[in-house]
Amino acid sequence: MSTQKLAMVIDSAKCIDCKGCMAACKQANGVSRGVWRNWIKEAMPPLENGPAGSKKLGHGHFQPGACMHCDEPSCIQACPTGATYKSAADGTVVIDPKLCIGCGNCIKACPYGARFRDPVKRIADKCNYCPERRAAGLAPACVDTCPTKARVFGDINDPGSDAAKLLAANQGKVVRVIAKGPGKNWDTKPNMYYLASTAPDGWAVQPVDPLSFDFLTAVVAPAVKWAVGLSGLGVLAMLGRQLLAGAGGAHGPGGSADGADKDAKEDHHA
Amino acid sequence: MRSLKRHDASDIFIHWFNAACWLLLLLSGLGLIKNERLNPLGAWLPDALRALFGGGSAGGAVLLVLHEVVGVLWVLGFLAYLAVNARGAKYFLKEIFSVRPGDLSWLVRKMGRMTVGPLLGGRGELPPQGYYNMGQKAFAQASVAGGLAIVLSGAVLLLSAKLLPAAATPLIGWAVTLHYLAVGLVFAGLLVHIYMAAISPEEKPGFRSMFTGSVPEDYARHHHGLWVEALGKDDPGSK
Repeated sequence: MSTQKLAMVIDSAKCIDCKGCMAACKQANGVSRGVWRNWIKEAMPPLENGPAGSKKLGHGHFQPGACMHCDEPSCIQACPTGATYKSAADGTVVIDPKLCIGCGNCIKACPYGARFRDPVKRIADKCNYCPERRAAGLAPACVDTCPTKARVFGDINDPGSDAAKLLAANQGKVVRVIAKGPGKNWDTKPNMYYLASTAPDGWAVQPVDPLSFDFLTAVVAPAVKWAVGLSGLGVLAMLGRQLLAGAGGAHGPGGSADGADKDAKEDHHA
Repeated sequence: MRSLKRHDASDIFIHWFNAACWLLLLLSGLGLIKNERLNPLGAWLPDALRALFGGGSAGGAVLLVLHEVVGVLWVLGFLAYLAVNARGAKYFLKEIFSVRPGDLSWLVRKMGRMTVGPLLGGRGELPPQGYYNMGQKAFAQASVAGGLAIVLSGAVLLLSAKLLPAAATPLIGWAVTLHYLAVGLVFAGLLVHIYMAAISPEEKPGFRSMFTGSVPEDYARHHHGLWVEALGKDDPGSK
């Protein structure tokens, strides 16, 4: 059995900003009030008719999105417990709610703002491509509900899937949203593909660690390694001396009856 | 041979209770750290520990529950000890935090002698020591300070997903960092503690006293001269 790589291929030109995907996701996953697992971003200019008398039509462009289930996810590198990981079976980025301690490292580590701390569950949450629906043979709620079929979902490792076919048909014209910085890319290899072109671009941000995690990985963890290493070396040195000196030490079993003897005292620890 | 009472039954209990909790918490805790930049010994360790409980993140979740339960029991054990033997706890804290002149020199020379030999540690008598020697005091100080840091940061981590709002997220990150630091430093000291007590021949009577409660008088005179002196002035046999 070859492993799956679940992905979303999106024709953002088809999106009419109806917010159906956002509502369906909330409903299907019981997402808490005030937070959203997916979004529709809007490019300027907004969708409206051109100014009176003008021959030019105003046109907007909408861009549906959610967790991009990246191949090199920066969120996983930030998780201290391995509660978030890449599924070996289907390639999705999973959060195990039982192992997540809500430290929040992954939230800022995501260039797409796809993660949030759920106000009710108090742990990290994000799109999971509706595993319950998939188990029942259904597409994710956002895909199922989309009236213009802007979102296409499937296993892109399976050439027969709709998503793979759409990708193949648009080879060379597929774009991804990637965080860009001055002279730098933070390409986490997202598995969300946009056809032909999409807008807006440039909204993804540099993945960052909280100061507490930077301090932990750069200062505390090496310091602890040094402390334990030095202590271990010290113990080895003492053990070596003990073995070399043999059982001749004054403190062998029953060998300490010479309490007042000053010479013995001097040589006790030598 | 006269023997001097050194530990109450409650002292002996809390020592071994603490040791058992440390072993369980350290192992389950090592199984909870799984991050490329953090793994103290590589990913195989959390993977192996998680495999004991079904493997993967689900195995990790079992370890997390185990870690939380033992952690709470650990704190309850210390509270019970305080309730039973507050006097002993007070004596312990007073002793470990009173550093006498000469203690530092004792520590440096003793470490030199035991690791390298007289070349580094010098010859001659070391300054006399009290109920605890300076090495024991240093480790006890680290254990008390580290233990408090571990319990406080652990409480934040325990309550994180149960009680704390999103605004407290930075606090949780810092609790992880403090937890790791405190455990790491106390563990570094623990290596020496275990060697000195259980492996080195020097402290064998001290090790036995952690089961029987008492030490031979001549051993006490050698190793804890100031304690025996003070005992002579007060009521002998009590601490």
